[in-house]
Formats: sequence, C-alpha cells, structure tokens
Amino acid sequence: MREIIAAPLAGLDLRKHYGHHQSPAVRAGGLIFCSGMLPVDPHTGERRHGTLTSEAHVVLGNLKLLLESAGSSLERLVQVHALIYDSIEYDVLNRVYRQYVANGPPARTVWTVQIEAGFKIQLDVVAAA
Amino acid sequence: MSAKREVIPLPVRAPDTASGSGPPASMVVRGGDFLFVSGLTAADLQSGERMLGTTANETRQILINLKQLLDAAGSSLDKVVKVNVLLRSMLEEPNMNEVYARFFPDQPPARTVCGARLPDGVKVIVECTALA
Repeated sequence: MREIIAAPLAGLDLRKHYGHHQSPAVRAGGLIFCSGMLPVDPHTGERRHGTLTSEAHVVLGNLKLLLESAGSSLERLVQVHALIYDSIEYDVLNRVYRQYVANGPPARTVWTVQIEAGFKIQLDVVAAA
Repeated sequence: MSAKREVIPLPVRAPDTASGSGPPASMVVRGGDFLFVSGLTAADLQSGERMLGTTANETRQILINLKQLLDAAGSSLDKVVKVNVLLRSMLEEPNMNEVYARFFPDQPPARTVCGARLPDGVKVIVECTALA
C-alpha cells in the first residue's frame, strides 16, 4: 500500500511550480519518503536563495510543515541525506541542523553535490509515519 | 525476530556479481516490505554492454531496465516510493525530467535529483526503493 502525500501549502508543490515530476512525499510500509526539500517559500513556491544558514531554516521549516501534515514530525525522522553545495559549510550546516533535531537525531549522511537552481542545501529524508 | 532479507534473483546476465567480474553489488535486494535497487546506469540488460548517450537517452534506457527489474522481482513502477537521480550536470535536469515523466504517468514517487561526479563517463544514475 502506497499513499501519495499532497503538499500542505501550495508553495510546496514543486511539480506545479517547477514541473518536477514527483510527489511531495509518499507513505509506504510505515515510513514516509520525502522528495528533496528545497528552500522555497511554502506559500508562493518562490525560491528563497540566501546563505546556507538562511536556506537551511527555510528547508527545515518546510520539512516540518510537510511531515506534520502527514501525521509525522521532525522528531520522527529516521534518516537524512543533507546535500550541500560545498563541504566547507559543514560546520555551518550543523549549527542550524542541531536546533531542529535536539533529541535523538536521525541517522545522517552529508553529501557535497550540485543542487538545482544554485541552492546551497537540499534535504532528502525518510521519517517514521 | 528478523525480517526478510533476500537478494532477488533476476533473469538478466549482467552485471555478473557471482563471478566477480561485475561490481560487488546486487541489482535488487529485498529488505522487509521494500525492494532496494542499486544505482543503475544505461546498459543493455541482456549483454551488459554500456549504452552511453544523451541524458535523455540514458534516462530512457535506465527506466526501461528498472521496469524490467521490478517486474521480474514481482513489483512494478507503480510501487516505487522513492527515486534518487544523480546527474553529471544539473543543466540536464529538464531533459531527464521530460523522459522520466513518461514512465510515471500519475502519482509519481517521491524523488531527489542532484548533480554529482559519476564514474565511467555516464551522465545518469537512478536508484530507487519500491514496495515489494
């Protein structure tokens, strides 16, 4: 049984705004798989470019909205792939990230990759449903 | 209590993990309710020959193979929950996306796309998780 999770706010529907052929999240087997989360305005879908810190706040805020709308939460994250544009920002990432996963943080891997539209961060996560 | 873990036997010849000539990876492994599919590059599933080309062509070949692998494992593209697409260049994202959309006509899986250095001159790698 596979269930598509719709965007809780219009701006989080990247398929509608940017033509990305993907669902915001899918629930299956007791888990929630989220599409790569980007720093876009959750109401308008507008790109919110900034520092890695400011982009990370937007991404984690969006992730919180999406997970909570699906009956999960940041506390229920199981695994995170934190994609960043440059490994030099690793410590910067940790400073922001830490604020959102204070208790029993999820498993995590940080990758340095090229992210769409020149963004500095993207989060790819699995949470318990 | 331990959940099921099984390397899915597939009716394809390549890559041949058993003889040690291919990469030390199984193409499809079942764990619990899920099938985990290794990162696929564009190749002929029967001969194992690489089929390098444009981003669009590599994407098409990979997804044709993915469909075949999932069907053989008793799953299907409809049961895919998450896809990760790695591209040599994010400038090619629209070319990948257009082909990709044809394979998941409605209710597409969750997906993450990023640009990365890929081995052996390939332009696209696709890995996925599906319900068994």
